[in-house]
This record gives sequence, C-alpha cells and structure tokens, in this order.
Amino acid sequence: MINCSSKLTLLLICVLNSAPTLAHRLQVFASAEGANISGSAYFAGGAKASGVRIEIQNAVGQLLAELITAADGSFNYSTQSPIDHLIIADSGDGHRAQWRITAAELGGNSLPNASTASPSVSTAPANAVDSATLAAIELAVARQVRPLREELQAAENHANFRDILGGIGYIVGVTGILLWWRQRHNSPRS
Amino acid sequence: MAHIPDGVLSAPVLIGGAVLSIGLLTIALRRLDDERLPAAAVLSAAFFVSSLVTIPIGPTSVHLLLNGLMGLLLGWTAIPALFVALLLQAAFFGYGGILVLGVNTLNMALPALLCAVLFTPWLRRIAPAQCFWIGAAAGLFGVLFTGGLVALSLSLSGEAFHTAAEVLFASYLPLALVEALMTGTVLTFLQRVSPELLNSLVVLRD
Repeated sequence: MINCSSKLTLLLICVLNSAPTLAHRLQVFASAEGANISGSAYFAGGAKASGVRIEIQNAVGQLLAELITAADGSFNYSTQSPIDHLIIADSGDGHRAQWRITAAELGGNSLPNASTASPSVSTAPANAVDSATLAAIELAVARQVRPLREELQAAENHANFRDILGGIGYIVGVTGILLWWRQRHNSPRS
Repeated sequence: MAHIPDGVLSAPVLIGGAVLSIGLLTIALRRLDDERLPAAAVLSAAFFVSSLVTIPIGPTSVHLLLNGLMGLLLGWTAIPALFVALLLQAAFFGYGGILVLGVNTLNMALPALLCAVLFTPWLRRIAPAQCFWIGAAAGLFGVLFTGGLVALSLSLSGEAFHTAAEVLFASYLPLALVEALMTGTVLTFLQRVSPELLNSLVVLRD
C-alpha cells in the first residue's frame, strides 16, 4: 500500500518535474576550464534539462562520478587527472547524449603537462613565461571561447531548411523510383 | 519521444525490433499498391516534417505522430512510408539512432497497422458525418499504443527504466487528445472535399 502510494507520488513528482524536459532530443555540452569540467544538458530547441543524470566516465568506460543537473541544466565536475573524459547525460526516459573532453583540453592546468607544453607551444622569447601564467591564459581563453562553442553546437543541432527540403526530396524520389519500377514490372502483363 | 536514440536499448530488444520490422516491411512491400503510393509519399513527407513542429501543451511540448492517420489511409503501405520518414529523420535531424531504427519503426508501424485493421472497415459502415469519430479513435489509439510500445521497449532493456517508462506513458495522454482532434479533423475534411478519395482508399484495402 505504502509502496503503491509512494510510487504514485514519485510518478506525479516526475511528471511535474520533468514536464519542461519532454521535448525530444537531449543534448549535452561540456567544456574544460583548467581542471574543471562544466557543462549543461538541454533539449534541442533550447529547453534546459534539469534533474538529468550525468555520468562521467574515463576512456575505458569506467565510472568516475555521477551527477544530477541543476535547475538550469548545468553541472560541474573537478577532474582528478588530465585524461579523456566521457560525459553521458541520461534523462531515464529513453533520452541519452554524450560529449567527450579530451586529455589535451584538460592539460592546461596540470603542472607536468603545462611544463611540457610550454616549450613546444611557445618559441624562444616566450620561455620567460612561467607555467602558472600559461595556465591562467589557457583558462581565460577557454572561458572566452566557451559561448562560441556552445553557439556552434546549437547551430549544428538546428534543423535547417535545406535538411527539410532534402528529406522531402528523398521521399518524392523514392516514391518515383518505386512507381517507375512497378510500372516496368506490370507493363508486360497488361 | 517516439525517437529512441542509440545506446539506450539492449541488444536483444534491438535485434528483435529489427527482425520484426524487416518482416513487416517485406510483407508490406509485397502488398504495395501503386494507387496509394502518391498518398503514401505525401503522408510520409508530412510525418517527416511534423517532428520539427512541436506543440506546447501546458508546460510540455510534443509533436504529432500521425501514425493513426497513416494507418487509416494507407493500410500496409503505411509501413514503408513510416520507415522511409524515420530513416530520413535519423539522417537529417539526428532524431532516433540508426541502430534503433528497427525498434522505432516497429513502435510506429504496429499501431498504424492495427488502426488500419480496426478502424478502416468502420469507415464504410458508418455515416459520413461520423467520420470525425473514426479519425479521433485512430489518432488516440495510434499515439497511446506507440507510447505503450516505447515504454515496453525501454522497460525490456532494463529494470531501471520501469518508472521512467510509466512517466513517459503518462506524458503521451495530452498528445493523444491533440492527435485525436487532428486526425478527426483531417478525415472530416477529406470526407467533405473528396469523399471519393476516401472511399476508393477504403475499397482498395481488400
């Protein structure tokens, strides 16, 4: 009885909570700022996905952390080491999206990586720049570039007019081929 | 919502869905009748585009499925029409995965087929003025059955999905009502504008 009513309450809460998230394509975006991964989950079209489970995995699929997105769909995770991170968002009702943060993106703040990166990136005069400054610069650039990347991904997800026309064209074409083929097939008989 | 992406369902569900879909497609292509192909293309295109037009119902936003209408008007031909449109949606918009295409097709096509079997015979028996109710019933049934199948494919893939599947099913209710209204209106319109179109389609089913 208790189980039944609690299940019903859960269902109700889920319906009320997940109401704005019932659009139809889940997306996740993440970027690295220093050793910190921050990102957001949203539905194609722009609605924020709150209360979505975020799994952070390493390159071999081992679970590193499990987070829940905030009301505005955002989440934060501070990485332990600069390795490839796979971020999987799963809203539980059959929506799933993933995003990869490469080790190179996270490398900026970690000391061993930055010190090896500094000679290769900068030529002789820049050797004076110490690794802390370099990390700060990378952090600042990452922060500046982030809105651009977000916008780029949103534009990529946006179904544009060409796609729609292309799809309709395909349908007309397939129908034409079918009709043509069947006409050829039937004509000897008639 | 009816578009399940890749990586959610388990392998047995994917394979089962694919096999059943291929079976249904084969039967449908054998029974294809040329008279219905243009209508199938029009409805397929409408289905393809309708996934982009989201209707806000209260706080949620959903899109029409149209599978009840397609089943009613196309019969078996609805299956290749739905398959082509779903394939193109996956390719162009990223709605639904490629590996899940079999399951997604099945989830949409099975209700369409059942609508054809259950409701198309009624179209001939009933008075033209009552076309609306046949359409409404087909729309309602199409959406609810699709919702049930999506929930089933999710819950077959893992116990964790069970509650989520229930939630999903609850969210299909408002859509079902809108779909019923829409399908009924389209059918009434067809009946009024060109009843011979509706009658010829119905007769062609046998």
